[in-house]
Amino acid sequence: MRNVCVIAGGQNLWGVRQATQRDMIQEAGKACFEDNPIIKNKDIDGFIVGACHTERCSFQTHLAPQAAECLGIKPVNLCCRVELLCATGSTGIIVADAMIRSGKADVVMVVGVEKLYMPQRWEIPFSELGTCDHEFDCTNGMGLPPPAFATVAQQHMKLYGTTEEQLAMVAVKNRRNGLNNKKGQMQKAITLEEAMSSRTIVRPLKLTDCCPVTDGGAAIILACEEKAKDLTDKPLVYIRGSAQGTQHQMSANFNNGVWSTWDTLRIVGEQAYKHARVTPKDINVAQTHDCFTISEIVEVEELGFCKKGEGGPFVQEGKSDFGGLVPVNTDGGLLSCGHPFGGTGIRQGIEIMHQLRGDAVKQVEGARIGLTHNLSGLISAHTVLIYGRDME
Amino acid sequence: MSITEGKYAASMDMWPLQGKQFTRIYPFFDNLKEGRLTTTKCKDCGTLSFPPRGVICPECLSENLEWVDLPTKGTALSVTYEEVGVPIGFETPLVHAMVDLGGVLTLFSRIKDCPMGALNVGDEVKLVVFPVDPQPFDGKKGEDNVIQRVFFCFEKA
Ligand SMILES: [Zn+2]
Repeated sequence: MRNVCVIAGGQNLWGVRQATQRDMIQEAGKACFEDNPIIKNKDIDGFIVGACHTERCSFQTHLAPQAAECLGIKPVNLCCRVELLCATGSTGIIVADAMIRSGKADVVMVVGVEKLYMPQRWEIPFSELGTCDHEFDCTNGMGLPPPAFATVAQQHMKLYGTTEEQLAMVAVKNRRNGLNNKKGQMQKAITLEEAMSSRTIVRPLKLTDCCPVTDGGAAIILACEEKAKDLTDKPLVYIRGSAQGTQHQMSANFNNGVWSTWDTLRIVGEQAYKHARVTPKDINVAQTHDCFTISEIVEVEELGFCKKGEGGPFVQEGKSDFGGLVPVNTDGGLLSCGHPFGGTGIRQGIEIMHQLRGDAVKQVEGARIGLTHNLSGLISAHTVLIYGRDME
Repeated sequence: MSITEGKYAASMDMWPLQGKQFTRIYPFFDNLKEGRLTTTKCKDCGTLSFPPRGVICPECLSENLEWVDLPTKGTALSVTYEEVGVPIGFETPLVHAMVDLGGVLTLFSRIKDCPMGALNVGDEVKLVVFPVDPQPFDGKKGEDNVIQRVFFCFEKA
């Protein structure tokens, strides 16, 4: 098996965009090539596009050849689309990694994109009614998932004493981290008081506890170690390991109604640590799926950064901030950058690439090992990738 | 839209296809019309599935399935009130509760006609069946065919 490196990455401006899916694929691809001008589009021999709502919001299937054509890429080993809702981007990276590791391709670009805003806003929550079990959950108005995460928060508060202030502290930290991220959707810091007094969405979740709806794209290039040495003059960043799993789709099959415990994430995390030959203690920086503030609190527990139930104190004591045990969501996370489903996992991988290269906007000094995590659907699937400055 | 001339577009329909021609779990909807909440149970391994399965038992892959009744009354284990961002066609607040159906099944369901604070943890809820948009389909030439459809949620008992 060959070693796989990340050698370029970039994203377009995320937010409410006056641009089509196709425009954003071009913007993200351009940003990626600009990150590493040594790589040309003709160097790419494998191509993956990640997008969830392409049929629904852009009426376009068979997206991969169209996206490759937009970027002047003529892949000879692979050209396909992947989809796993919120984890679509990181799933593309896992597939690219496997292709390169096994020798089926040498240099693979993964572009993740999501076009959600339509001329009339009602279509967004309506389109999301295809994301959980359509016939049995979405018919109950479950698409965009605030009620599900509010349930997680209610249970976590009752079982472990987590507070609304601790939820708000996740938002304050991640907004602060994303303040100077010029490609992010929010780019605005908030105080604890502002977070605590923001409008209720689903009690106990307030507006600032929820990531926004986002148009956006991101692209990343992976290569086998041998090619990577020729195609970049920056420090090499390796993919050390990954894992992905699921145990349910419909709400009725999620852990007998105990939603504050995410067994699937614990198991997937352990798998990823095993593949990467590291432990939670070795992680210097992490981008976890903070679609809601409560998500990050549960994730630091299930990923082993603290004990189960201690996710609230973990953020309160600054352990997930710069200078803490594991800085989490150093580029602002979903809460600050926004969350275009196809792009998020790629954005996380790009931020870890910058952190391990030492050229991040907000740098964790000396970071050598980084982790990304996505959840998708009704907390149904979890995806973890571990990156390192070396393989040992 | 001019090019569809008001035709029904199943690809934009938010309700499940119902009727024997379109789904293997049509008995679920037929039973629902009689006020019964039913699902499939495997006669080989005993696993109760929800949602109901039209072909095989996901646990042991047996095709030997039977329809069984679920309780139509339960208890709210948790309650959420969605005050903002509710999908088109749903009332605000959009209320969801984790419903324990007598220990047989735990469902996350919508609670109908529930003002802020009206349902609390521990309260009893009961099944509600309501009509949804009928589903027109192409039949024999010149014939209009329509399947009458229903769906379900819960309300405070
Ligand atoms: Zn069975």
